[in-house]
Amino acid sequence: MVSLIEMPQAPPQQLPRQNQTSLEETEAARVTIDIRGVDFAYGEKQVLSDVTLEIPSQAVTAFIGPSGCGKTTLLRCINRMNDLIENARMTQGTIYLGGTDIHSPQVDVVDLRRRVGMVFQKSNPFPKSIYDNIAYGLRIGGIRKRSQIDEAVEKSLRGAALWEEVKDRLDEGALGLSGGQQQRLCIARALAVEPDVILMDEPCSALDPIATAKIEELIQELKREYTIVIVTHNMQQAGRVSDHTGFFYLGRLIEFGPTSKIFSNPSEKRTEDYITGRFG
Amino acid sequence: MTPPKHILGTFDEALSSLRNNVLMMAGLAERTLDRAVRGLLQRDDNLAAAAIADDEEIDQLEKQIDKDGIDVLLRFQPVASDLRRVVAAMKLSPNIERIADQATNIARRARKLNKHPALPEVEIIIPIQAHAMVMFKHAIDAFSREDADLGRAVVVRDKDLDYMNKMANRKLTERMAQDPKALRGYLNLIFISRCLERVGDHATNIAEDAVYAAAAEDIRHQPATATG
Repeated sequence: MVSLIEMPQAPPQQLPRQNQTSLEETEAARVTIDIRGVDFAYGEKQVLSDVTLEIPSQAVTAFIGPSGCGKTTLLRCINRMNDLIENARMTQGTIYLGGTDIHSPQVDVVDLRRRVGMVFQKSNPFPKSIYDNIAYGLRIGGIRKRSQIDEAVEKSLRGAALWEEVKDRLDEGALGLSGGQQQRLCIARALAVEPDVILMDEPCSALDPIATAKIEELIQELKREYTIVIVTHNMQQAGRVSDHTGFFYLGRLIEFGPTSKIFSNPSEKRTEDYITGRFG
Repeated sequence: MTPPKHILGTFDEALSSLRNNVLMMAGLAERTLDRAVRGLLQRDDNLAAAAIADDEEIDQLEKQIDKDGIDVLLRFQPVASDLRRVVAAMKLSPNIERIADQATNIARRARKLNKHPALPEVEIIIPIQAHAMVMFKHAIDAFSREDADLGRAVVVRDKDLDYMNKMANRKLTERMAQDPKALRGYLNLIFISRCLERVGDHATNIAEDAVYAAAAEDIRHQPATATG
């Protein structure tokens, strides 16, 4: 059995490992997400059809499209969050992370979700201190040494552009932070376990313009090290923060390409009609 | 093909208003240029004066188009073809305004020429004006109808206008040497030819912006053969 993190005796709270091995590490700096011919259904209702695209590494990819088009469903496929939904299943196709099929029996889904972190529309910090929110994932992963955790907490909070605002109150409750700070805390929490990919599902939709701007600025910093996929309804945000954009409609990927092209001269009429507000 | 309407009706109205102002401005500039040249050819100072008076309204329209364009960008944050249309409209209007300025210059020189005996060489201006006017009309049509091919054709014609101006210059310079008493008149005609050549340059700029709006192609600064 091989794990990405060397684990001493596991504490009682540790999540049970489902499988024998974790994902192989390829070159960490070039972990791409390769989605091939994916169909997905909730029960009898098919919500994704034949979706194929390669998400570039160390860049921001935006998924856009009208409500119900399948973009969040696809996002949640990448870290197998949809496994937690009854009757939801990928009926066709393969998703590769760094060259490994994420549905392979050898893949440890817990480890997958460490490597592919997720930030949600509504921020969800734990009802714990700011410090413990970050430390939780580290402790679960077997890190016990206080100095190591301290260092990782500071690094994660700096990485999320939150350190200067909270460094003097790490023992205070995370729920006392503002909405924008809570969302950055959730990003820090994801960063603490050293992911390769960060998935963001409308991360700014509940935030004010200034908090949104801070998150968008953070995304530009993070993409130097991480592969980021963001679902957004905000066309201007997609145009501002992403390098590549995929437009989805009725469960299909209609067009995928550089954001500058998608928003200045898309190839598909449906893309043009959607982004110019002629339907949606 | 007319694109489908925006869900937001006010967006369609704003774009339509911007487009209509550009077309109105172009129509006024065309009339001004026509009046200026007819004031020259028909030795009619009233026509020349009317051309000069037109300029005020055209200047105001240039400011209005900029204001409306900024308003659309601010309110609706257009993308793709909508963004190209707005940017093209804002780039077209200063070129139309310069065409109107050239027409004003022609009108002023026409009034000077009308104070002196008629020069038969004024006929040189006729084909140059006709060519420049066609370029301007087609450039505006290319914008209005989003016809990239028409726009490209305008760009190609500019070198012909340059040649016509060059030949006019040569002939008028020869006449200046032959008939120095009418030197001032020939000089005015040279300047008028030059004004029309500049009309062609501005029409070329309009056509290039029209191609960009229609097809998202930037055809500026290309060798003549590339667009021909």
